[in-house]
Amino acid sequence: MTTMPSVDAAPAPAGAAPVAGFAARAIGLRKVFGHTVAVDGIDLDVPAGAVLGMLGPNGSGKTTLIRMLLGLTRPTAGAAELLGQPVPDGTDRALPHVGALVEGPGFHPFLSGRENLRRAATMEPLLGRREIPDAVDVALERVGLSAAADRRFRGYSLGMKQRLGLAAVLLLPRRLVVLDEPTNGLDPAGTRDVRRIIAELHAAGTTVIVSSHLLAEVEATCTHVVVLQAGSLVAAGELHTLLAAGTTGLVITTPDVDLALRALRGAGATAYRAERTSSEEQAVVVADDGPPAPELIALLVGEGVAVHEARRSRTNLEELFARLTEDPS
Amino acid sequence: MATARSNKIGRTAAAGMVVAGAVGLGLLAIPAGAGAQPALPPVDPEELVRSVLAADDQPLAGAVELENGLGLPALPGIPQAADGTSTARIWTDGDHRGRVQLPTESGERTLVSDGETFWAWNSEDRTVRRMPEGRHERDPANADPGAAAAAMLAALRPTSEITVEGTSQVAGRAAYDLVLAPASSERTLLREVRVAVDAEHRMPLRLTVLGSGSPDPAVEIGFTDLSFGPQDPELFRFTPPPGARIEDSQGHDEHPRDASATTVGDGWDTVFLTPAPGPGERPEAPPTSRSWAARSAGRGAAGG
Amino acid sequence: MTAAVLPLPAVDDAPRAVPLYRLLGAELRWVLRRPRTLVMLGLFALVPVLISVGVALAEAGPGEGLIGAVAGNGLMLPVVAITLSLALLLPLAVAMAAADAIAGEAAHGTLRGLLLAPVGRLRLVGMKAFGVLVVATLAVLALAVMGVLSGLIVVGRAEGQLVTLSGTAVGPGDALGRISLVVLWTIGQLAAVGAVALAVSALTEHPSVVIASVLGGLIVFGVLSAIPALGWLEPYLLTTGWTAGVDVVRDPMPAAGLVESSLRALCYVTVGTGLTVYRMLRRDA
Repeated sequence: MTTMPSVDAAPAPAGAAPVAGFAARAIGLRKVFGHTVAVDGIDLDVPAGAVLGMLGPNGSGKTTLIRMLLGLTRPTAGAAELLGQPVPDGTDRALPHVGALVEGPGFHPFLSGRENLRRAATMEPLLGRREIPDAVDVALERVGLSAAADRRFRGYSLGMKQRLGLAAVLLLPRRLVVLDEPTNGLDPAGTRDVRRIIAELHAAGTTVIVSSHLLAEVEATCTHVVVLQAGSLVAAGELHTLLAAGTTGLVITTPDVDLALRALRGAGATAYRAERTSSEEQAVVVADDGPPAPELIALLVGEGVAVHEARRSRTNLEELFARLTEDPS
Repeated sequence: MATARSNKIGRTAAAGMVVAGAVGLGLLAIPAGAGAQPALPPVDPEELVRSVLAADDQPLAGAVELENGLGLPALPGIPQAADGTSTARIWTDGDHRGRVQLPTESGERTLVSDGETFWAWNSEDRTVRRMPEGRHERDPANADPGAAAAAMLAALRPTSEITVEGTSQVAGRAAYDLVLAPASSERTLLREVRVAVDAEHRMPLRLTVLGSGSPDPAVEIGFTDLSFGPQDPELFRFTPPPGARIEDSQGHDEHPRDASATTVGDGWDTVFLTPAPGPGERPEAPPTSRSWAARSAGRGAAGG
Repeated sequence: MTAAVLPLPAVDDAPRAVPLYRLLGAELRWVLRRPRTLVMLGLFALVPVLISVGVALAEAGPGEGLIGAVAGNGLMLPVVAITLSLALLLPLAVAMAAADAIAGEAAHGTLRGLLLAPVGRLRLVGMKAFGVLVVATLAVLALAVMGVLSGLIVVGRAEGQLVTLSGTAVGPGDALGRISLVVLWTIGQLAAVGAVALAVSALTEHPSVVIASVLGGLIVFGVLSAIPALGWLEPYLLTTGWTAGVDVVRDPMPAAGLVESSLRALCYVTVGTGLTVYRMLRRDA
């Protein structure tokens, strides 16, 4: 559950035996469209039971990666596994257990929401014929679409279409659910519903892969995060590990920055002026390699520095994301 | 891994289907019996001609195709005169009763000779013409390549060099290829006339007229399908269908075209003259294949 | 990490595909719920009625060509209606069905859903071919049934018989047999059109490309067969055999044209199906 190979893990040889314990794996996946490299050799293991947030700016290869994992697009190189089955050879075994909403909901405009869902349910190998009507009703209920179920899909709003797409995913219990930008077009209430649904799926033990540009959503619901930039993974791991790695030390807010820096450096600590443009307050940052925090604070107070606040710096996902994607190293 | 094995097999099979379908189309496009050269005992040309002229009429059913490459304009009411392919289906009991059907895309003409009465049906105006039997050239029993070729053989025999050049397969039957070339004294635009003669029944199966200067036949008429044997007598009866208009005809005077038709010259230099039907006139019955062939040969010989 | 973890799927034991009848049933429902299919079928039902009314009004003189053969000869109407529709209307209907079948699903994003369900790619082709065949069959049946009805009611019958083009009269049983034969033959020809249209449909995401291809193909075939120098091409063209439909109202019925055109259609079906499968086994969705 804690393994999450880093970006630079050696690619497994193509055709390697499926490894149990992962809901999805990418092994050196690469996709080239013409001269454009959409996905550039990605290795990724998604542990079973995880909620993986897939972050990245538009065009970073999120959707292409998801499509290759699901067998919708053939990789130029590399291999994928889905629920321990090779893609695409074993997709007929894996896909019945997978629910996916990729690149927006696809439905027939001339059918009602319910009819569309019935058609989708008919194609589900794990749903018996008699179970279909109930499954459809339950799924509609779960996404809050029961009232509009008998209207034609043509007349649905963007949010209703998105909800219907979610309903198709929720027709039956899944082992893996893949949601590509599930909150597109949803109002705040809809976004909350998506968060609730992801939490429910997680609680039921379903692995969830969710790509989103709404970082707050990911931070609130994910256990794992990968960040894509220009077709490559720039960060991958458990959410709390990633956030902890972003911790840079002790942040001390004070108006007497110069005095504080002198005192801290005199005590052998690595200290520097915090670059904060968003705040009026000035601060210094002290690295963790020097004396422990209580000593440093006592030192500063003793030197007459006015300490307004002292805290561990904790990056949030937004900062991490901005740092990883705006200035790729 | 990028190409799964089952997928590859499936795609190979699919590609195989495409090839198989294309090959099938190619096979359909090959004319039946083309290229086959059946082995037959050698025959003397003169003896072959004599046996053709002496052969008895056989009961048969067949389909005939006329390939016209003369370059004549389309004559009103005689679509067969224009360049192109026309077909006819014929039945005969070998005893002067016969049936000819001339299908077009949107209709059909049926000529039936029941031994006493000659019937001519035209589906375009749903008219039946009825006339007493007795005029031999109207006898549809003779409206086949056999009759046409036999008549031509008789006409051309004195002025031709006659040879047998191998064998061929016509409508699934083994045939001798009889070739008539004009004697050097003849003035003509024709290179030769080839007649495929059925080896068993000595009946001409195909007649090919070749003009000088072109490898393609000026006219070719021959069976595409042929079976000998007794025919259903029902075929040689005709009952006017409900709703048909019946016209009685005595023959001669109602056919000015045929009445005034004459030929000029003889042998390879024959010219067939006939006044063109006026715009309002439509010949009630198309010429039998005998008259097509004779006329075609004559035209080719004269003006080609 | 406190998430409950499912033991990894015993995915080998679970059903991998829904039974074929369920797929075909779903496709049938989908085809018949599509408004344009229904409009189309309605139009086909109207064609024989219009012809019958036209013939009844013009009963005074002999008509032109095939239509002329219908006057006072109601059982001829279904054959004539089918033959005339085969030139353009029926192939158009089949092209529309084939366009919706794959390209249309791709355009709506529903093809993805089918593949993810998963409907196997081969089964998907089978299911779609079935849908196209259903449309073709219903269209021809609409022409035939309405043709018989309006032929008998509006045009009237020739003493209960069918007067063939050859000038013979056949009884109603024989006539219905001949009508059934032309129905089957026409479905075969349309299957050929449908198979090729489906192959185009598998290649594109734009349904209109499919319709344009089929119409363009018909026009090109028509032009090619009109050029004498290209006469050698004729045996390869599907449309060459389309005059054979009226052979069922000749007596005795010549089988050669019907058989040959059916074999040609079979070749087209094979080529079209092969292309469709070849493409669909790899198509991204």
